[in-house]
Amino acid sequence: MKLICTREKFKKAIFNLERVVSKQNTLPILNNILFETEKGIFKLSATNLEIGVIIKISAKIEKEGKITIPAKLIGNFIANLPSLGENNITLEAVDQSLKIKSGYFKATIKGLPADDFPLIPQKTSDFLINIPSFIFKKAITKIITCVGYNETRQELTGVNMILNPQGFFLAATDSFRLAESQLKLNNENINKEAYEMFIKSKNNIIIPSATLLELSRIIQNEAEEGAIKITIENSQIFFDLEGIKIVSRLINGKYPEYKNIIPKEFKTTIQGEKELIQGVVKMASVFTSGRSGEVGIKINSDEKKVVFEARSVEIGENSSELKLEITGPSQEIIFNSKYLLEGLNTLNTPRIALLINSGSSPAALKEVNMEKETLGEDYIYIIMPIKN
Amino acid sequence: MTNEELWQAVLGEIELSISKANFITWFKNTSILSNKDGKVFIGVPNGFAKEWLENKYKLYILRALRNIQSDVKEVSCSIVTNYQNSFKENKLDAILPPPKVPSPQKTVLKDFDINQKNNLNPKYTFENFIVGGSNELARAACYVVSQNLGKIYNPLFIYGGVGLGKTHLLQSIGNEVFKKDPDCKIRYTSSERFTGDLIESIKNQRVSEFKDLYQKIDLLIIDDIQFLSGKEKTQEEFFHIFNFLYQLNKQIVLSSDCPPKAIPTLEERLRSRFEGGMIADIGQADFETRMAILRKKALNEGLIIEDEALEFIASNITSNIRELEGALNRVSASAQLTQEKITLKFVSALLSEIVSSSKRGSITYKHIIKIVSDFYEIKPDDLLIKIRKREIVRPRQIVMYLMRSELNYSYPGIGERLGGKDHTTAIYAFEKIKKELTFNEKLIKEMDILKKQLYSLG
Repeated sequence: MKLICTREKFKKAIFNLERVVSKQNTLPILNNILFETEKGIFKLSATNLEIGVIIKISAKIEKEGKITIPAKLIGNFIANLPSLGENNITLEAVDQSLKIKSGYFKATIKGLPADDFPLIPQKTSDFLINIPSFIFKKAITKIITCVGYNETRQELTGVNMILNPQGFFLAATDSFRLAESQLKLNNENINKEAYEMFIKSKNNIIIPSATLLELSRIIQNEAEEGAIKITIENSQIFFDLEGIKIVSRLINGKYPEYKNIIPKEFKTTIQGEKELIQGVVKMASVFTSGRSGEVGIKINSDEKKVVFEARSVEIGENSSELKLEITGPSQEIIFNSKYLLEGLNTLNTPRIALLINSGSSPAALKEVNMEKETLGEDYIYIIMPIKN
Repeated sequence: MTNEELWQAVLGEIELSISKANFITWFKNTSILSNKDGKVFIGVPNGFAKEWLENKYKLYILRALRNIQSDVKEVSCSIVTNYQNSFKENKLDAILPPPKVPSPQKTVLKDFDINQKNNLNPKYTFENFIVGGSNELARAACYVVSQNLGKIYNPLFIYGGVGLGKTHLLQSIGNEVFKKDPDCKIRYTSSERFTGDLIESIKNQRVSEFKDLYQKIDLLIIDDIQFLSGKEKTQEEFFHIFNFLYQLNKQIVLSSDCPPKAIPTLEERLRSRFEGGMIADIGQADFETRMAILRKKALNEGLIIEDEALEFIASNITSNIRELEGALNRVSASAQLTQEKITLKFVSALLSEIVSSSKRGSITYKHIIKIVSDFYEIKPDDLLIKIRKREIVRPRQIVMYLMRSELNYSYPGIGERLGGKDHTTAIYAFEKIKKELTFNEKLIKEMDILKKQLYSLG
C-alpha cells in the first residue's frame, strides 16, 4: 500500500476512529485501525465490536494494499504534527510496518496483519430515513444528558427511538427525569416502502448512547450540509454520512412506557429569560446541601412573582424573587437543582417555559418559539419534583 | 445428540485450532439454533461475530461439524437477541420522584447526646465510674488532671485492655472540665478520626486550618493512640501539635491498649514524650469491682436481681466490663420479656451459652504447639525433642505456660506431652514466664497475640 492524502482529512479521520477503539480488549487487533485501499479510495476502519466506524477519504493511491496500526500511537503522532508546513502526508506499508512521511517528519509504526481485523457488518437493505445530519445531532445533544448509567437497567443506558408514519421520537431517562425530542419526517425524508414495512414489524428500538454520542461528535457543526441515512436491520443500526459509515448493535430489552408520564396539559406556566432563570437556579444550588440539592420554587400568581429558595443548615440560605409571566394558579414545588439545571441547559431558545401541575406530579421544561410566541413542540424535558 | 451437545463438541474442537483470545471473542454466547437437512443455523450475539464466523471460520466450523455429523452441508449465522430481564420490567414506571436525601440536620439529631463542639458524650462522668483496686490509680490521675489542667500530669497516658473503662475515664475528664468551665476549649477525638481529619485536610489543601484548630485547644483528649502506629505523616503532624500544646501548658490526655513502649512503629521522639508525663494503667477489674459495677447498673435500671445471680455473672465474665454489662442487659431484657424473677437459675440458664463460649472447650495442647511454633517460626517437632537451643527452649517454656494457664494441665501432664520432660521443668517454665510477664513488655505483647490466635481458632 502506498498513498498520498491531505493531512487535514487524515487527522480528522484518525481522531474520529481513535475514540471508537476500546481500551480493554482480549483481542489485541481491536486496538488497531485498519488502513486499506479500495478502488481508488483510502478507507480506514475501527471497531470495539459494539460500534464499527468506516471512514473513506480521497487520496492519490500509488499502490493498493492494507495494514492495521495501533490507534493510540498514530493518534499521538498526528496530534503532535505541527499544523504549519507540509499539507500532504504519505503513507506506505512495508512488510508489517507503516511508513509515514509529512514534510520533515517521518515515522515507522509496527502493525498487525490486516487479515485478522474484524469484518465490519454491511447493511443489506436500503435506507429507511434520510434527514439533515445537523437536525439529528441537535436532537441527540438535547436528550443525551438524561441517559442513565445504571448497569442493572441496561435499557436505560440507551436512547429509545420510536418510529411512526409522521416521524420519530428520541427519548432518554435515568428514571428521575426524561427528555424527548421529536423529529418530523415527510416523504422526502423516508424510503417510503421500506419505512412503512419496517414500522409495521418493529417501531421501538434502543440505541446505545455511546453510539449516538460518537455520531454527534462526528457530525461536526451545523453549517455542514450533509445528510444522514439510517438503516435498521438484524438488531443493528447503520448510519451513513458523507464518507463515514457507522454500525452499532441495538440494546435488547423493552424501554419503559414513558408516554403516559408526560402530562397532556399543565395548570400553571411560567415564562422567562433562560439566562435569568438559569442564573437564579445556579445561585440557589450553591446553598443546597446533601445529594438531593433541593431548590424550592414558589409561584404567586396574584402578585405575579416567582421565588426561588434554597437553604441548608450548615451553609445558610438564599432566595431570589423574579417577575415572570405567569398563567394559571399559584404553585409550590421542589426540585433537585442538578436535574433542573441540566434541563435548563438543554434548551436552546432565549425564552423558556416551566410547566407545572402540582407539587407532586411531573413538571416540564419547554422552549419558547419567539416569532410565533408558542411553546416548542419538538422537545420536552420532564422532571419529577421532590415530594415534600 | 442434542444441538447443545453437538455445539459443545464443535467448540471443543475449534478451541484447539485457534488462539484463546480469538475463541473467546468470537464464540462467546453462540449456540446452534437449528439443525435440519444438513443445514445448520448458528445463533451469534452481534453482527461482527456473524461476519467473522461466516467469512473466516466457516471452514473450521464445517469441518468440526462434519467430524461428528457427516451430512452437514451448509452453515449460516443469524443474530439472536434475547430479553435478559423481561420479567421485572412490566411494572416499572418510566420516571419516579428523585429520592429525598435526608439533610445533615437529621444525622445531627440522631446522636444528639454527643456534644457537637467537643465530641464528648455526657453519659461518661467520674460519678458513675466504679473505682476498684485495678483502676484506682488511673481514676485518681484523671481526676487530678481534671482539677488542674496542664499543671500536674502532662501528658497523662492511660493504658489498659479492651472494655476496662479507658474511654469512660477520658471522657469523664472532658465532661468534668466542661461542667466547671463551659468556655474551656476541649476536644475529644480518636486517633483514627484524627488521622481521617488530617487526610481530609491534606486532600483539600487545608493543613494549616487543621493545625490551627488543634493548636487552639485547652484540653486535647485522644483515644486509642496506638492506631497512630505506622502512620508516619499523622505522627509527624501529631508531634508538632503535641509540642505546641505542651509548651503552652495545655493538657493532653492519651489512651492506648498498651504502654508507649509496646506500641509498634511509634516514633522514638513521640514515645519519649508520652512517657514524660504520667502513665497509669487500668487492669482487669477484680471480683468486688465487677460486683459493684453490676449492682450499680442494676440499680440504675431498677432491676431487681438476686445477689447470687449477680455473683454468677461477675464470677463468670471476668475479662471485660463491656461484656459484663452486655450480660446484664441480656438478663434484664429477657426478664422483662418473660416477666420472670431474676434468680440464679434463670441467669445461669440464660448465660450458659456465653459462659461456655468463653470456656475454651475445643482447644487442645496441639493447637498451642502449632500456634507457638508458627509464631516463632520453628518446627513443631523441635518442641517435643530434647534440644537446648535458646530459640527452642523459650517457645517450649511458653507452650508449657499456656498449657497450664489456659488449659489447666497438671505439671506432670505437661511434661509427658512435651516429649517426656520432668514435671519440675514444667513448674520452672511456668513460674519463669509468669514472672517475666510482670515486667517484660515484649513478652506481654507476644502472649497477647498468641492468645488471640489461639482463641480465634476455637
